[in-house]
Amino acid sequence: MNNTILQINQLKTYFFTRNGVVKAVDAVSFGLRKGESLCLVGESGCGKTATALSILRLIDSPPGEIVDGEILYRGEDLLRCSSKRLRQIRGNRIAMIFQDPQSSLNPVFNVGDQIMEQVKLHLRLGHQAALEKTVQLMEQVGIPRVRERMKDYPHQFSGGMKQRVMIAAALSCNPEILIADEPTTALDATIKMQILDIFQDLKQKRNTSILFITHDLGTVAGIADRIIVMYGGRIAEVGTVFDIFDQPKHPYTLGLINCLPSISKRGERLTPIPGMIPSLINPPEGCIFYPRCQRHMPICEKQRPKEVAVSGEHTVACYLYS
Amino acid sequence: MKQKLLEVENLKKYYPVTVGLLSRHVADVKAVDGVSFYITEGETLGLVGESGCGKSSLGRTLLRLEEPTAGRVLYKGSDIMRWDKKQLKEWRKETQIVFQDPQSSLDPRMTIGDSIGEALLIHGVGTEKERLERVEELLTRVGLEPRHATRYPHELSGGQKQRIGIARALAVNPKLIVADEPVSALDVSVQAQILNLVMDLQQELGLAYLFIAHDLAVIGQVSDRIAVMYLGQIIELADKAELLNNPFHPYTQALLSAIPLPDPHHKRKKVSLTGEVPSPVTPPSGCRFHTRCPKVMKICSEETPALRPLAKDHSVSCHLYK
Amino acid sequence: MRQVSNKIGGTRNLIFIGTLLVLILILLLDIYLVDQILEPLEYFYLFFALLVIFYGVYPLYVNKRLTKYYWERTKRHRLAVLGLSFIIFLAAVAIFGPFLTHDPTEVNFQKKYLPPAGFSNQQSVYSLKTDQFLTTETPGTWRHPLGTDDKGRDMLAMLVSGARVSLQVGLLAVLMAIIIGTIMGVLSAYLGGWADMVLMRFTDIMMTFPFFLLLVFIIFIFGPSLIFIILVIGLTGWTGTARLVRSEALSLRTREFIMASKSLGASDSRIIFRHLIPNVLSSIIVIATLSIPGVILAEAALSFIGLGDPTVTSWGLVLQAGQRSLDTAWWIAVEPGIMLFLTVIAFNFLGDGIRDAFDPRSQL
Repeated sequence: MNNTILQINQLKTYFFTRNGVVKAVDAVSFGLRKGESLCLVGESGCGKTATALSILRLIDSPPGEIVDGEILYRGEDLLRCSSKRLRQIRGNRIAMIFQDPQSSLNPVFNVGDQIMEQVKLHLRLGHQAALEKTVQLMEQVGIPRVRERMKDYPHQFSGGMKQRVMIAAALSCNPEILIADEPTTALDATIKMQILDIFQDLKQKRNTSILFITHDLGTVAGIADRIIVMYGGRIAEVGTVFDIFDQPKHPYTLGLINCLPSISKRGERLTPIPGMIPSLINPPEGCIFYPRCQRHMPICEKQRPKEVAVSGEHTVACYLYS
Repeated sequence: MKQKLLEVENLKKYYPVTVGLLSRHVADVKAVDGVSFYITEGETLGLVGESGCGKSSLGRTLLRLEEPTAGRVLYKGSDIMRWDKKQLKEWRKETQIVFQDPQSSLDPRMTIGDSIGEALLIHGVGTEKERLERVEELLTRVGLEPRHATRYPHELSGGQKQRIGIARALAVNPKLIVADEPVSALDVSVQAQILNLVMDLQQELGLAYLFIAHDLAVIGQVSDRIAVMYLGQIIELADKAELLNNPFHPYTQALLSAIPLPDPHHKRKKVSLTGEVPSPVTPPSGCRFHTRCPKVMKICSEETPALRPLAKDHSVSCHLYK
Repeated sequence: MRQVSNKIGGTRNLIFIGTLLVLILILLLDIYLVDQILEPLEYFYLFFALLVIFYGVYPLYVNKRLTKYYWERTKRHRLAVLGLSFIIFLAAVAIFGPFLTHDPTEVNFQKKYLPPAGFSNQQSVYSLKTDQFLTTETPGTWRHPLGTDDKGRDMLAMLVSGARVSLQVGLLAVLMAIIIGTIMGVLSAYLGGWADMVLMRFTDIMMTFPFFLLLVFIIFIFGPSLIFIILVIGLTGWTGTARLVRSEALSLRTREFIMASKSLGASDSRIIFRHLIPNVLSSIIVIATLSIPGVILAEAALSFIGLGDPTVTSWGLVLQAGQRSLDTAWWIAVEPGIMLFLTVIAFNFLGDGIRDAFDPRSQL
């Protein structure tokens, strides 16, 4: 049970802007186990990307700053280790794939060079060995005619292909943890499927832990073992994929699931969540979902709810259950 | 019997590819290559396809926002290609378009009120006071407040901007709205609100929609009939229920199986497509889908199948069905 | 009446045309009936001032909130605010100064080479009588706070006149250049195809045009005059603006709000004037602000080498006079030099500030 390799405790990442302090990540705690795929789900502005960037200390500072918390990777606190140690871990033990493959690849270098750079850096291989390794990696992610395509530039690849290149680069050092920030959002449905298959493969064959960030609940159902639902910089609900979809507890999670268009809901009106996504500047004292919640109670406005266990590993931060 | 509002016959839109200093015309991007369909009053035709299939080009070309290369478009029986400037301008009041990107679909230097009221100004409708009243009426209709009329686009959220795009389209009381991926750039909860708005407006005003999207779930939610597009051609066209329950074309089947279902128990039989979408400059011979089709036969690369009605209101272009 | 006003795009255009007609009337009176109501340069000035007021200032006033938003952002750039303050000060000097100072062309040989107030000029003259160097000290007086030049003209008055000239040349020439450049750029981008190619090749040719040669030629034929300088710079300096405006307009053209306008039934001219131009305006303002120093320096350089207008006292002219007496009367060259330096820097700071304020990506 306790094969948690990444433990995040009370992480607080704030952005100090002219208009106020944006509490992007407001006391978030969770753990990632070996070989599991954990999905961070939420809409834009919920803090999921900020959380992911905080893990590898990639937050733009200024104006952002990780003000509090611990990020324990196999016991070692990544927030307090030296820059040198951090660089050893980044790309090597913990790799990240960013949201937009368009802007994550350098347009003036060919694709093969970009992957080889990673390989040489971390695996300290010579040129020829690095080349072979790169070919192998690109084949593994399903890029056709690798030796030809290696010399092509990013703009000569389609969106799906670019994403595969990103994944190949991330996998070059066989990392223990892969953080993927909305890797399939910009892709078509059929390509999405192919990329998700690659992730499934990774999990099964290499036992890589995947922290998958997305706003698409449909994708999540296909790939997640456990799910964390985030809202307003805080965790609303945590559970296994079956817990969340079969028995969603938090009103936000319920709202989110109910407002998905589906081909089985022929022509009925959807039930959207009323209101708008809140600003993270000066968040309220109480539950941040309070203004949009259909089932709020007086206490919700006053105090922020703590996470309580509903069953097994299923926890919710909501007064309806405590 | 409701009349056919719009009839498209063999519409083509090619974009020339030029090379060299004197812009030699060497090839064409065949974005729309012989598309035929019709839309009746008050119905929603969903147009689904992946990126690069030409659906956006189709939407713009049939409104003559881009000049077609060939084909006919009949509006209430009259060929719009033959119309002069004056008739065209009058027609603009009957058909409107709503765009995908809320960010770039509004002029950043105009107030919301001016953007919405622009059509009224262009067509000389009403006095200034009457125009202001109409703008306020439209704002309320789409779920915003009259005070928003003096705001600028950068002061509003994506969902709000999209509502304004819809308000602007409604200003002239159109009969047909081409909605080009109106919800693709929005968060899930906002998407639901906008989809509801679209459906409500249809009921209230008897609008017809050409609803373009790449997400079959969204299309399934709003459409009466669905057309599936691949590489510039419509490969299947049917009533919604019929298409979703009984897809004939292998591409449609693949698309359906690729919809990520928010249901972890559902182990869908996945139809995996191999390879990438071919370039629209040099589309494959015969049936364009043959390079990726799991059920490809010899004839597929030789002869292009015609769009033929198979069952009642269900047409397919595929050699599997003779 | 409303129909007429709608035809030409609104009441504002109507009033503008009306005022223009009045100006033309005065011009005609001037030429044929009465003697010299206004100098030619001032007609020029008034025309452009009207343009700026109706199409520059008025839209800013109408879109008050947007203007305020950009102003707030500019204010955060401290250097820009400094620059702007200096420019306003300079403008005040240029407008009101001539009423408060001596005549800059008044020559007074008895008062020549007076140093600025507070300084003292030592001059050594060899006296044959005593076979020694006699050192005389001439202190500066407050009557001529910045001293006098080699012909006894008051420095302060000359600098004030120079400020007026520099600002006139700078603003007018640049205004002309950006108007022409904008029209070329927008037309080129919007019409595309052949028109684009033809206009851009024309722009290329104009870019290589030797403006200096043209100026010399004109001066040779017509004699030197400020108007020629302004005209030549204005008519040859629009190429940079044209290119920039064209590229911006090209990228704007594909933005969906342009297509949305088209779908609403907007005519091409409406799209160009109501949508394209206001959106490239921010770039144009930045280009304009940053071009002004170049023009001011160009005019100063021309006056310095003697191609400027000798009837008008500009900083360049003063510099030329000061060049000879650099070792004995340093202030004659240094003062205009400092003024040029400060003016150029002020415009550059302001231009930087405005550019950052308009850039949506910069965090201000």
